[in-house]
Amino acid sequence: MKQRVYVGMSGGVDSSVSAALLLEQGYDVTGVYMKNWSRDLPGMQCPWAEDLADAKRVAVQLGIDFKVFDFEKEYRDKVVDYMLDEYRAGRTPNPDIMCNQEVKFRLFVDTALADGADLIATGHYARVRYSTQASLLTAKDKNKDQTYFLYRVTSGALAKTLFPLGDFTKPEVRDMAKKRNLWTAHKKESMGVCFVGNVGMREFLSEYITTHPGDIIEKESGKKLGRHDGAIFYTLGQRHGLNVGGGLPYYVVGKDMDKNEVYVSRNIHDEAMWRTEVPLSNIHWIGAAPANGEKVQARLRHRGALLAATLDGDILHLVSGERAVAPGQSAVLYRGEECLGGGIVVSASESSLSLS
Amino acid sequence: MNTDIIYCDHAAATPLDERVLMAMQPYFAEQFYNPSSPYAPAVRVRQAYRQAKHRLAMAIGGQADDIIMTAGATESINLIFGGVQGHVVTANIEHHAVLEAARRCDNFTTVAASSTGRVDPEAVARALRPDTVLVSIALANNELGTIQPLREIATVVQSERRRRAEAGESTPIYLHSDASQGVGQCDVTVARLGVDALTLNAGKIYGPKQVGLLWLAHHVRLDPLIVGGGQERGLRSGTENVAGAVGFAKALELAQAHRKSEVQRLASLRDTMQRVICAAIPQAIVSGDLQHRLAGHLHIAFPGVDAERLLFILETKGVLVATGSACAANKGTRSHVLTAIGLSPEVADGSVRISLGRLSTEENCHQAAEYIIAAAQQEYQRTGGYL
Repeated sequence: MKQRVYVGMSGGVDSSVSAALLLEQGYDVTGVYMKNWSRDLPGMQCPWAEDLADAKRVAVQLGIDFKVFDFEKEYRDKVVDYMLDEYRAGRTPNPDIMCNQEVKFRLFVDTALADGADLIATGHYARVRYSTQASLLTAKDKNKDQTYFLYRVTSGALAKTLFPLGDFTKPEVRDMAKKRNLWTAHKKESMGVCFVGNVGMREFLSEYITTHPGDIIEKESGKKLGRHDGAIFYTLGQRHGLNVGGGLPYYVVGKDMDKNEVYVSRNIHDEAMWRTEVPLSNIHWIGAAPANGEKVQARLRHRGALLAATLDGDILHLVSGERAVAPGQSAVLYRGEECLGGGIVVSASESSLSLS
Repeated sequence: MNTDIIYCDHAAATPLDERVLMAMQPYFAEQFYNPSSPYAPAVRVRQAYRQAKHRLAMAIGGQADDIIMTAGATESINLIFGGVQGHVVTANIEHHAVLEAARRCDNFTTVAASSTGRVDPEAVARALRPDTVLVSIALANNELGTIQPLREIATVVQSERRRRAEAGESTPIYLHSDASQGVGQCDVTVARLGVDALTLNAGKIYGPKQVGLLWLAHHVRLDPLIVGGGQERGLRSGTENVAGAVGFAKALELAQAHRKSEVQRLASLRDTMQRVICAAIPQAIVSGDLQHRLAGHLHIAFPGVDAERLLFILETKGVLVATGSACAANKGTRSHVLTAIGLSPEVADGSVRISLGRLSTEENCHQAAEYIIAAAQQEYQRTGGYL
């Protein structure tokens, strides 16, 4: 009896190739489009209908079953609202991480298994080691590795998951798509907020969060340098978009959401910009937690460098320090090629980010 | 047109006829003048425009002054609905343009079509109210191809008009028909249809897209949607689309010149396709009225099959058809027409619309039928459905 795999098909080239590979490996494959977001924004048509059609075209090409799972309500509740709340609070969240945690590797897994699947699969660049407990490993393509987005997934979900692309590089995947003449072989990578297509985060947030203009203040002098149109749009370490005139660049070194003030500095060595101690919250481990003081590697952003680090309770110690670690972003820990899990960066205290 | 393509979706769009293109050509760059300008070259352009409208009028048995040129059928429909005030009556199988325009009116009633997609004139009569100002029924349904009993509906409207006159009521009542789908295949002489307003679209008859007209009988009074320089009797301001009007006139003349022979040819091709497909796939269901049906239309369902999958299989063979159903392209919503005539979701979602036209030949229709049969069989086998 063939094992039944439900593969999440987004209409992109990666998940298309995943489905094709699984079929060639002898699985009984069903393609599933997860309908997470379909709202059009002003001046921007949500691409979901086209993505769905692309995914379905590939499924038809492969001659496999195809279903649509409607997760729109859950996605709005668990991913979009979380993201908006985080931005309102002045943090810099990562909606992809939340989407994987709540939708792709919880809701999708549960729904697929209840629908008769034995396993699920996606087009992520990552690998799973299946032993007594499933663990998450980085992809062969270190440049494409997506484990940063997957660190909040459970071992239980991984045990039911196949990542057919984990041992391939992106160029290899493109080639495989072209060789198989898949409809999506030449499709461009989506840009911007993943679920709304080619629209920037700023435009998206503007739709949902009422913002007010406020002051941009130089940290050292307390001098008002200019105006911003909403503190939520600024993230720690950001250099662009400060309309404060020429000379050396200014960097965001803090903001006060209550006062709606953004603090900037020309000092690239400002203490707020460089962190060696990073307190974490909402820590999640896929398997066992690393031992206190164990030498691990930490990654603070997707495709960011792997930094030598140790964890002491909830505090991540970075051996060499890291620039612009913003509250809300994730710190993901690795032991060699194994992704252990991680947590969400909190500011040492809210006040440390403001002048007062 | 790509010779590998077997185009079976003439109800969606038609390729521009070369003769139409030729006729339009001079009015883009050479004779570009504004028809309202006073100098001689512009006067000649104005004359060409008048001439085009005259030819359009001739084709429908009307007068040039009664024709309002628009940017397509949707605009024509919006103009007639937006230009009246009061209760309007239409059918639940009408095109979205009509239904959405009706929804913007103060009051509207939709008459339910029969299971074959026909609108019952008696039902229209029952829907009329003393304040009804507009009845709008398409000459032929765009999905099913079902031709409506417009003449009988005109009689209903006429007797209501008579009743009002006798009762001393002053509320006018107009019958409008969107004939975009029927025009190449039906007689669209306004007097014979018995309508007070008629919408036509060039894009469906091998003319340019975004070119349409609204013919209005003398007695019809409307408010404009678009105001400005007062062109088109003040009902549609904006510099005239001379090339569009000239192209439309040529397209309509060609359509009418070949109408009878084309109807025979298409009906024969369509009937053969229907027979061949139904023989091979016994559970296939043909929807819509079989007697009152546009010659090129074949709306056929393969219950239990996902029509969109068929579309995707067929497109790889170069066969282009439409689905009437839960298609990603229409954002996952099932066709309101198929729901309105009572098709079950299983039948609606398995429905394919084949619409033949000038690109259809005996050979490519035969080929298309074979591909359609193979695709349906493939899907029935894949899903383990009964065949």
